[in-house]
Amino acid sequence: MSTRLERLSDTLRNVLGARIDKLVVDRGEVSIEVAAVNVIETARLLRDNDELHFEQLMDTCGVDYRDYGDGIWRGPRFAAVSQLLSVSKNWRVRLRVFAPDDGFPVVPTLTQIWPSANWFEREAFDLFGIMFSGHPDLRRILTDYGFVGHPFRKDFPISGYVEMRYDPDQGRVIYQPVTIEPRENTPRIIREENFGNVGNG
Amino acid sequence: MSIEGVLQEGFVTTTLDKVINWTRTGSLWPMTFGLACCAIEMIHAGCSRYDLDRFGIVFRPSPRQSDLMVVAGTLCNKMAPAMRKVYDQMPEPRWVVSMGSCANGGGYYHYSYSVVRGCDRIVPVDVYVPGCPPTAEALLYGLVQLQNKIKRTNTIAR
Repeated sequence: MSTRLERLSDTLRNVLGARIDKLVVDRGEVSIEVAAVNVIETARLLRDNDELHFEQLMDTCGVDYRDYGDGIWRGPRFAAVSQLLSVSKNWRVRLRVFAPDDGFPVVPTLTQIWPSANWFEREAFDLFGIMFSGHPDLRRILTDYGFVGHPFRKDFPISGYVEMRYDPDQGRVIYQPVTIEPRENTPRIIREENFGNVGNG
Repeated sequence: MSIEGVLQEGFVTTTLDKVINWTRTGSLWPMTFGLACCAIEMIHAGCSRYDLDRFGIVFRPSPRQSDLMVVAGTLCNKMAPAMRKVYDQMPEPRWVVSMGSCANGGGYYHYSYSVVRGCDRIVPVDVYVPGCPPTAEALLYGLVQLQNKIKRTNTIAR
């Protein structure tokens, strides 16, 4: 671990203290895990603390951990992961928040702290069905109007449930149940020992 | 009445069908409908190197001024009603060229939950241009094929 990463993780531990559930340094990147109840407080500290100063949120995305690592996963199913950048300090951190309830995943929104989270959270809601409590405008952003389901969840069939065609009688485009045979390819994973280990981190 | 003498004075005779079809092939104005990477190849075909203007093919920004639609790219479920609306706004006679694998039959995204498996599910297609994406030459060839198809149709004499 480089001194720079050490300095960042020490600062994170000092400033955030017990709010961090887990801190991992891997492949030259620092990730912290925070419980959903502490997120707002932690995010405010990450942004406003003079030693950390993460003034930018680069991305927020959802993660579905179902079937992760061939079923070895023993935790909540959904997480919202944010990538933070400090331009003034020139370092980055990854903030992971698990949704406590698998059936109705809810995590607090970060829009009040970083306004750029708005559309990223809408995307995570659209594709994974993660609710962001306190979000000003939590609508679908990518899928069709009136789309049912959350397509990036691992139990969503790849061909979906409906398909589109033009109906000459009604004179408009309509949805009908999928007519093609479903086809799912499971890629064969070949991973050698020390794959991707290039000596950093 | 004989036309023997007239021919010698610099006149040609033809059928009205051929004249009408000839005028139609010479001014195919496509509706600009680029959806994905195929649109880039369509733009190449329209620019100076391949120069669609030579064939009288001039891109129009409005469906009401066009008689051809080149569906260039992946047609998503969300876009399909908009494409049908644009097609319905085009005045007849109108033609559709489906460009690329995605527009022909879904292509790479055939099994996707959000892609129409071929734009012929939404609008009737005259010419399919294969490729992923088709080259500008391929599109040009497809458009020439469409011109041949128009020349074969009977407009007046049915």
